[in-house]
This record gives sequence, structure tokens and C-alpha cells, in this order.
Amino acid sequence: MDKIKSKEILFFGKITAGITHEIKNVLAIIQESSGLMEDILDITPDETFTHKDKFHTSLKRILSQIDRGVDITTRLNKFAHSPDHSPANVDLNDVSEQMVLLASRFARLKNVVLNADPHDASITIKTHPVTLEMAIFESIEIILNALSSDGTITLVPRIAQDRYVFGIRYEGTVPAEDEVSLSVSSSEGWKSLQNTMAYLGGTAEAVDSALEIRLYFPQSINT
Amino acid sequence: MLQLKILLVDDEKEFVTTLAERLELRNMHVEIATDGEMALSMIEADPPQVVVLDVMMPGLSGMEVLVRIKAIDPKIQVILLTGHGATKDGIKGMQLGAFDYLIKPVDIDELIEKLNEAAKNVV
Repeated sequence: MDKIKSKEILFFGKITAGITHEIKNVLAIIQESSGLMEDILDITPDETFTHKDKFHTSLKRILSQIDRGVDITTRLNKFAHSPDHSPANVDLNDVSEQMVLLASRFARLKNVVLNADPHDASITIKTHPVTLEMAIFESIEIILNALSSDGTITLVPRIAQDRYVFGIRYEGTVPAEDEVSLSVSSSEGWKSLQNTMAYLGGTAEAVDSALEIRLYFPQSINT
Repeated sequence: MLQLKILLVDDEKEFVTTLAERLELRNMHVEIATDGEMALSMIEADPPQVVVLDVMMPGLSGMEVLVRIKAIDPKIQVILLTGHGATKDGIKGMQLGAFDYLIKPVDIDELIEKLNEAAKNVV
């Protein structure tokens, strides 16, 4: 990758990370303000406030959305810091959970639920974090494009026969098998994924028996 | 029971003001400062038992303020507020003498627990 592209990515990441801090400050103020309202409600006698329950319910909703906002911005912040060190040690379990949060919206647009099934123990590899996340995202997109809609995509990091595997597995109504494998392996996205994986020193495989893409990574990328 | 005296330091005025109100409702005496210099002047004039200090502030950073608080009076306990993904800052702060660190936005119950623990350390 040329130097200016690398600088662009670092710049993009730095600005995004900075903005996520600002968003979190906003969320912190909303959290404390709604928390203060709850505190005041708690010391207000029921008989003096007819709609107390409705206010409690609304405040709980606000606080739950703050938690959601914090979770999203935390993931976005982590994602924005991905280019800071490359290659770097990454835990595929963390990446699976990170990608669920970052890519869920894209899945939801096709009525697909995205979730992670992390391995029991951490699976650490040394690789380029941004390119790794891109490979996983490309795989998710390939599957989403091959589907009509509905179902679940599960991100499954594993070690199998000393190989570091990241499965992107679809469960749900699968179109005719021929149609699926045709659309996966001949798609524009598939060629791009192969290139991405080659850059990471790995390979991508479409599993015929199921709608699943398996990404194979070396334990440590050669730099 | 003695009223716990706290100084909240954060450049987000709306945040510290509201948090101060919540702590006051829980019978704590709370002062606020919106930058490091202001905090240090207040500490020198009337030292609190515990300082809740944001790490990322314009001007003097939270870490610089921490070091100077400890130079003024090592007994003052400092709880740092860090951003997510900034646990390194929290650990570094503890090496510099902070009592503990919390990730922002903070949970009020967790903050109160930490404040009470920190207060026990004030000799």
C-alpha cells in the first residue's frame, strides 16, 4: 500500500477516534442529567406526582439507549484505533464481537441477525487489523448478497488442526445450493476477498455443504 | 458520620455540574473545577478528601494534575476518569499514585463505592 493511503487511513482513524470521545462526553452528560431526574423522582412522594411511573419508564428507556450508544461508540473507537499499529496481535474472539456491533446494521437491512460464537480460549494472531476486519466484512457482504433475506449469520473463530479459522456461517432459508455457490464464487466480492486474504497471507474457502465462508490465517503474518 | 468532601475536575461543565448535584443528593459535599489550574488552586486553598479527575483535559492534563496533587498532599485520594480503550491511562495513573480509575460515562453506584473506598484511605 502506498504511503499516502496509509497516512489517509491513520488520519481517518485519528479523527474518528477523537469524535467518538466527544460523543461519549455528550452521552455522559445525558446520562447524568437523566440520572439526576431519576434521583429527584425517587425522593418525590407518589401522591404529589400523578405521572411518576411514566417518567420512570421514559427515563429507563433513555438510560438504556445511552448504554447502547456507549457500546456503539466504544466499538467505533476501537475500530478507529485499528490502524494505529499494524501488524499487531489481535484476538479473533474480540474481533468477532467487534464486527457484530459494527456490521449488524448492514445485516439488519436484509432481516438477518448477526451474532458471534467466540472460542472458549482466546485466539491470538499477528496480522493487519484493518485488513482482517475488512476481510470479515467482505465475507458478511458476500453472504448477504447471496441471500434472499432472513436468517442468522454467526461469526465463528476457531483453531482447527493447528489452523486459525474464522467462519462466517449462515443459518436460515438457503436458496438452491447451486444458485448459492454460483453467486458466492462468481461474485465480484469473492475475487476481492481472495485478494484481501492473499495480502494477509491467508486463504478464503466457500463451504459447499452450507452457506459458510471460512477464512484461514497464518499465526503470524510475514512482513 | 462525617460528610465526604469531593472535588470533581472535568472540562465538561454540564457533566461535572450534574454529577455534583447527584452526589450532593447523597449527602456529599462537592466542589467543581473545569480545568487543572483551577483544581490545583482550590486544593491548595481547601483540600478535599477525594478528587475525581478527568484524564483528557485541555491545558494541564489529568496526569499532570495528579502528580501536582500528590506533591501538594499525598493523602488526597484521586480517582481518574478515562475514556473507553484508555485503560493504559488508568494503569499509568495508578502507578503515579491514583487510588483507582473509572471509565466514562460512570455508573453512579460504582462511583460512590469507589469514593467511599478512597475515603477510607485518607489518614
